[in-house]
Amino acid sequence: MDSSDPAVSKTLRLGWILLAVWLPLGLTLEALHGFKVAVYLASQLRRELWTLAHAHGSMLGILCLLFASLAPRTLHGQALTGAGRALRTAAILMPVGFFLGGVLNSEGDASPGILLVPVGALFLLFALVRAALGSRSA
Amino acid sequence: MGRARPARETIGRALAGRSWSDERSGWAILGAVPAARIPLRLFFPLIVAPVAVMGTLALGPDPLILEPDVLVERRAEDRGAPHCGTCHPDQHASWWGTYHRTMTQLPGPRSVRGEFDGVLREGVDGPWAPLRRGDAFLMSFPDREAEIALVVGSHVYQQYFERIDSSELSTYRRLPFLWHIEERAWMPVGRVFFHPGDGVPGRHAALWNENCIFCHNTGPRPRMRTTEAGGGEAYRSFDSRVSELGIACEACHGPGRRHVERHANPLLRYVVQFEDSDDPTIVHPEKLSQEREVSLCGQCHAQRLPNPHERIFEFMAGGPTFRPGDLLGDHVEPLRIDTPSVDPSDPDLFRKRFWSEGTPRLTAYEYQGVTTSPCFEAGALRCDSCHRMHRSARGREVDPRAQIDPDLKGDRACTGCHAGMVDALERHTGHAPDSPGSRCVACHMPRIVYGLLGIRRSHRIESPDPRRDIEAGRPNACTLCHLDRDGGWVAREMTRIFGRPFEAPRRRPDRAPLDVPEALASLLSGDVLQRAVAAQHFGAPEVALESGAKAWLVAHLIVTLGDGYPAIRHLARRSLVALDEELELGLASGLADEGLFGDPERRREVISELLTRLAGHRDRFDVPPPATLLGSDLRLDLDRVQALLELQSSSPISIGE
Repeated sequence: MDSSDPAVSKTLRLGWILLAVWLPLGLTLEALHGFKVAVYLASQLRRELWTLAHAHGSMLGILCLLFASLAPRTLHGQALTGAGRALRTAAILMPVGFFLGGVLNSEGDASPGILLVPVGALFLLFALVRAALGSRSA
Repeated sequence: MGRARPARETIGRALAGRSWSDERSGWAILGAVPAARIPLRLFFPLIVAPVAVMGTLALGPDPLILEPDVLVERRAEDRGAPHCGTCHPDQHASWWGTYHRTMTQLPGPRSVRGEFDGVLREGVDGPWAPLRRGDAFLMSFPDREAEIALVVGSHVYQQYFERIDSSELSTYRRLPFLWHIEERAWMPVGRVFFHPGDGVPGRHAALWNENCIFCHNTGPRPRMRTTEAGGGEAYRSFDSRVSELGIACEACHGPGRRHVERHANPLLRYVVQFEDSDDPTIVHPEKLSQEREVSLCGQCHAQRLPNPHERIFEFMAGGPTFRPGDLLGDHVEPLRIDTPSVDPSDPDLFRKRFWSEGTPRLTAYEYQGVTTSPCFEAGALRCDSCHRMHRSARGREVDPRAQIDPDLKGDRACTGCHAGMVDALERHTGHAPDSPGSRCVACHMPRIVYGLLGIRRSHRIESPDPRRDIEAGRPNACTLCHLDRDGGWVAREMTRIFGRPFEAPRRRPDRAPLDVPEALASLLSGDVLQRAVAAQHFGAPEVALESGAKAWLVAHLIVTLGDGYPAIRHLARRSLVALDEELELGLASGLADEGLFGDPERRREVISELLTRLAGHRDRFDVPPPATLLGSDLRLDLDRVQALLELQSSSPISIGE
């Protein structure tokens, strides 16, 4: 198995894209804090959700890059394909869910977009289990 | 691919191996391809998040919008408490828990404290019912229904206002019943004001726009309009606005717009931290001078007139001109005992609001009390010497009821300056150190001020003097606990304790005999405020009498249930309830509203019945001293009681809050 495997290349590309999307979010949020943009600072819940979107997007991007680096040497066939697909799905759903949760949210509750987060979390869990089992059998 | 390699080796191979130059793998982005060859579309992800954030903030609802009501419109100079909270969350949170915040609110399940239960009740001029219909709170009267549009008060009692004009205007009128939060009871608004009789319908139907708006809101602008109605007639209407309902940040810290704009620059914020001078764009009350700090609180806690008086029209249009950091006297004239009346029909209008030696006897005169105290005139007393608006210096939560600094509770607010008193307490007070009589406020800030249907502490900090107090018709601090003592006894005791002569009073303004206990003479013969003060203290827990010696208190409180002022009857009833619980006399069933606030004939029957019940307990009490006008059979010396009652001033006193 090499890095030209579609599961690896897709995951690698997604990792870069995730970093390209969610790292600038962190920069944006820092600027909003720095310049005391009250319309952002006023919603405690939104601040928390978007901070989580930034953190999850960036960390899952890094996880995708690590997967692309390590998986070709440790996973095969369906394990590689399945784990890669689940990881990519999770890496998209979780930060997007956190971000959407902070769009048009009420004072006490996140927007319905937050529902993407537990779905993404299940995909992430599946990817981890699949990768762990695939590595053991490799 | 063989068995899994150690992770460190695998990562190293990946980073150093062919994948760095394999464009399909994506690693080329890191630098293997010259920047000029990177397609522009690859930069697209970089702007996705910033654009999404800006779009959401620009197009979504503004969380800083204060309250969706026609009344709420910030002045150009204001920013609003939610805005302040974005940078000062701890201060915002501590303010959030105060009753200042909730002084005026829109009606809603969280703000309305009254029981709108739909139960029909008997009012002064007919039956009425508080009821709820969907989201609306209403008062139903025989001829109409009034929907609650504003709620004023959230601590002791809550008043309700209806909106009475067209949708373009915002005039609010007080409804005739309030909810007493502490007593969990509805009562007529007239009961909390000092007016004789059970109330004239409509007498207290004040307009919020020309009264409450000034001190129960931030950035008030009554915007009064006077419209000619023809024939020389004119009528007033209001299109009022406030920056915020309730007392919020900018009421004390001044308008915040310049502060917000200045501190939006992060670099400047750090520069400011190293500056020696104070931030000129915001007011920090603790850094104000003594005079300006008390002025700040005095903008509401000082009944006042515009200075000069002709500015009233300016105030009724654009609101008060005082801003935090100003001197109060530059904008208004705080009322004093010698302030000329503005009502030709009542030349003593303002004089009646003070004890005859000048001490305020109503709440909302705290500024006048503090600024005439020796601790202010010759010392460093300020409002924040005792009170905190946020957490204490040690980070303790402040009790919202009086907002006393928790670090200074007990006597510590006083002993900060009067340190010598700590070790000399018993010698100074003549009381055991743990006695209520050894608390500084018991003698130097006695409860002689009426407000919110209760007697509150005076803010004129001074020492008791039996002759000065009693000859001025003012309650004496000593006899508010030692209810069975007269002024002569006080003079003798103070002479003994302090080792210097104190004179006994030579006469009372009401001519009541001086050998009658001072508090009892005040209860029966005093003016309306003296009677109110005595009525509350007769049931106070700190009374210096054993339970077996309290029968005469009960007897005279029962007599006071016949007072012509509903407020005094209410205070007497409250004290009777407390004594009834302590002494287990079984009087409670006779103390219902129906018997005490309705038909005077029925009231006389109730009083007679209660006195009879009390007499049935004569075996349980000590023989009362003769000066208490109660015989050993617990029956009143009615001739002497009647003689004292006839000394009451026949001139009615009407005092609004």
